[in-house]
Amino acid sequence: MGAIKRYGVYVLLLAAAIAASVSWYSRTVDSAPDKKKTVALIVRMKHGDYWRTVKLGAEMAAKEYDLNLNFYAPDYEEDSQSQMELVNQAARDGYDALVVAPSDDSVLQEAISQTKGGVPIIALDAEGERAEVAGYIGTDNYDMGKKACEKMIQLIGKSGRIALVGTGRGKEGATRREQGVRDVIAQNRQVELVASRYAQPDKKLVGELIRELIQSEPDIRGIIALDAGTSISVAEEIEKLGLQEKVKIVAIDSPLEVLEYLQEGVISATVIQKPFSMGYLGVKYALDASRGAGVPSRVDTGTKVIDRENMFWSENQKLLFPFVK
Amino acid sequence: MRKLLVGVVDSVKAKSIQFIITTSFTLVTVLVVLFVGVMLYSKFTETAEQNAYLNTQQILEQVKYNLDSYLNGTTQIFELVDDKIRRSQSISSEKLNEQLEAIVETRKDIVSIAVFSRKGELLMGTPARAMRKNSKLTDQSWFQSAIDDPNNLSFSLPHIQNLFKGEYTWVVSMSRGITVKGPSGDVQAVLLVDVNFKEIDDLCQRVGLGKKGYVYIIDLVGNIVYHPQQQLIYVGLKNENRSLPLKYSYGSYVDDSGKEKRLITIKTVDQLGWKIIGVSYMDDIATTKSEISRFLIWLLIVVSIIVLFVLSYISAKISRPIKMLERSMERVEQGDFTVNEPIRGSHEVEQLSLRFHLMVAKVRELMSQIIREQEAKRKSELEVLQAQIHPHFLYNTLNSVVRMVGIGKNEDVITTITSLSKLFRISLSRGKSVITVQEELEHVRHYLIIQKMRYKQKFAYWIEAQEEVLSCRTPKLLLQPIVENAIYHGIEHMADPGEIHVSASLCDGKVLLQVRDNGLGMSPDVRERVLAGTYKSEGGSGVGIRNVHERIRLSFGDEYGLEIESELEVGTVVNVWIPCRRDDEGQEG
Repeated sequence: MGAIKRYGVYVLLLAAAIAASVSWYSRTVDSAPDKKKTVALIVRMKHGDYWRTVKLGAEMAAKEYDLNLNFYAPDYEEDSQSQMELVNQAARDGYDALVVAPSDDSVLQEAISQTKGGVPIIALDAEGERAEVAGYIGTDNYDMGKKACEKMIQLIGKSGRIALVGTGRGKEGATRREQGVRDVIAQNRQVELVASRYAQPDKKLVGELIRELIQSEPDIRGIIALDAGTSISVAEEIEKLGLQEKVKIVAIDSPLEVLEYLQEGVISATVIQKPFSMGYLGVKYALDASRGAGVPSRVDTGTKVIDRENMFWSENQKLLFPFVK
Repeated sequence: MRKLLVGVVDSVKAKSIQFIITTSFTLVTVLVVLFVGVMLYSKFTETAEQNAYLNTQQILEQVKYNLDSYLNGTTQIFELVDDKIRRSQSISSEKLNEQLEAIVETRKDIVSIAVFSRKGELLMGTPARAMRKNSKLTDQSWFQSAIDDPNNLSFSLPHIQNLFKGEYTWVVSMSRGITVKGPSGDVQAVLLVDVNFKEIDDLCQRVGLGKKGYVYIIDLVGNIVYHPQQQLIYVGLKNENRSLPLKYSYGSYVDDSGKEKRLITIKTVDQLGWKIIGVSYMDDIATTKSEISRFLIWLLIVVSIIVLFVLSYISAKISRPIKMLERSMERVEQGDFTVNEPIRGSHEVEQLSLRFHLMVAKVRELMSQIIREQEAKRKSELEVLQAQIHPHFLYNTLNSVVRMVGIGKNEDVITTITSLSKLFRISLSRGKSVITVQEELEHVRHYLIIQKMRYKQKFAYWIEAQEEVLSCRTPKLLLQPIVENAIYHGIEHMADPGEIHVSASLCDGKVLLQVRDNGLGMSPDVRERVLAGTYKSEGGSGVGIRNVHERIRLSFGDEYGLEIESELEVGTVVNVWIPCRRDDEGQEG
């Protein structure tokens, strides 16, 4: 009886030891895939080459750093209400770091209140100084405006009257671009900014605006458009008016229409951003921040001036045409 | 649980068999497992590395094969197009146009077919689309190659097709010099077939080498044909060292110039000299390594725990009977020879225990034998002494009788001889050594009568007995040596007349025979020595009293025997304690 009891104790202990170690082992094996970090990327719009390129860059980083990427985007740009809902949706889905390209400040505020400082936030394609945001990654818009204006001055032969067409909304990026343009003009006595016009991103309105401008300022030599949509509308109107030889256009960004107008000679130059780098660096720094590593609070992904001469150079082709179709 | 704890505590005793077996076997097992583990680990990791290497090789071979066959296919298309154009009557003929359109429609990957004059004018194009301005057609690499080397088919790097209106498409341009029949005779021209780059892009994108590994393609001089991270390279976020792969056509090497170690494998596409370069990250292999090592560590821990338990059980089983044997021996050492429970265990231990118990039994037997022999020896000695009393006493008595006869005291002679005769009869008792108390008292009375004859008025005596004691049994001749002592040592040298009281009574269930005198008495020192048998009086044997004491104790045990109370000049009391037995049982011969 005693022997059986003793036997039982040994067998029991043995079984317990084996069970404990096996469960421990399987837990350590199982927990390995869970170590993969999840990064949520929320951009301003589902469509458009610009945001698709951001996503492409983010995906590249996700593959390289072996993490899970959750992608969220509203159907229309500037729809801050939908974007706020997506911020909440992403919070419900869970993430280790959040990369957000906010439509406006309220979205960023929503993201900050969602994470409550527990999860790092990287703001994409935005400028700001919030302490709660781990880093801002995007274009230096002031520099972009300066570059656009400098290119314009070069195009018009260092003297003449030019005009500025903005988006009509107090968007911080556009404001900073305009400031860049104005600061360059202020240093060039021979160049005169005759008009700055603002319109909704609507083709008809921009068309009217341009016709008015040409009527009131017939000797105008150049127009700087401050965003992609406006650029297309301005180019369309100028081509309609047959003024492409006389009025130089400097555009922003590189949607296909802008590239076509560039090759056809309607637009003389465009200043492009680097959305791929934004997506890639956004995810990369989000991962770093979630691991507790320091990330730079401000990263300028850079801009590039593209004109008819260099648009088909091989190093620019990938920037301008990111997708293989 | 307590047992296990005790076992653990036991095994901590560093020299115990259990501890030695457990630790040494566990150590050996762990070492063996460790050795096997390390061997397996190195073998596994070597195999893993080799597999990764072979895998990369095979995947690259596959890519190369696919690329080769795809390029061959497109080359055939080009030849077909070339053939159709050569055969047609006119470059602008309707029939040719239809044929080419059919080709473009059936082959989804053909973006466009076009023929240009050497000046860059479009002679023919399918599908028919308007030309874009500012395309810098004559500057493009495919045009240049066709002009420079018109007889060789040239493949361009992937680039954006910017010639025709419509979408901008990534294409690889195939071009060659051609002679076409125009309205005014043969014209030197350039044939261009643009193939969609997507096919090649897809082909390469699908290839994964491990978790992070990838494939890229460079041309003969190191220009990137395909790279998944091309954008990163162009904006300077990444750097791919293309100079080293350029030196190889086939082969592989480990590149540890960057942060992570990478295995670079290179294959060359024969047709174009494009190099397919596979990049696999060594930490993918290292993951396998760490997984294997983690598994092995756990295996080691589990095996060690199991071995520890099993061995502590086995060693406890082996050492327990030995410990029991040790405990038995300890008991024997302390004088307990009754141990006899058999110990179960291994064959050796069982045999050992059997032999030990046999030995203990033998010792026990020998000891009791020695005791028996000693007792027998003592008894015979006593009997000899007892026998010796008679001649000595007889000699004295007879001497007195002779003296009495000499002085004519016949009365006394009769009394003395009668008593002597009675004395002897009781002494002999038909050979029995045990008599009744009455007989013993009778014996001592006769003895006293005889002695009174010798010593005349020297002493007086009284003999009293309780009725119920008289029938009790007693070893014979107990009282006589005591009375003898009382006379010779107590009274003989006394000036006053002596008194001797002999009594028999029952006290606490024991028989008390008492001899009391008022003689000289003895010092406590002498008293001690008398009972110890070391006192040697002059004339006496010095063993009389001692003999009585010994005989009683040998017969009945230590609780019986003699007690002597004595005071100098007052007298001596000797108490003889014997058990109260009336029948024959317990008698000894």
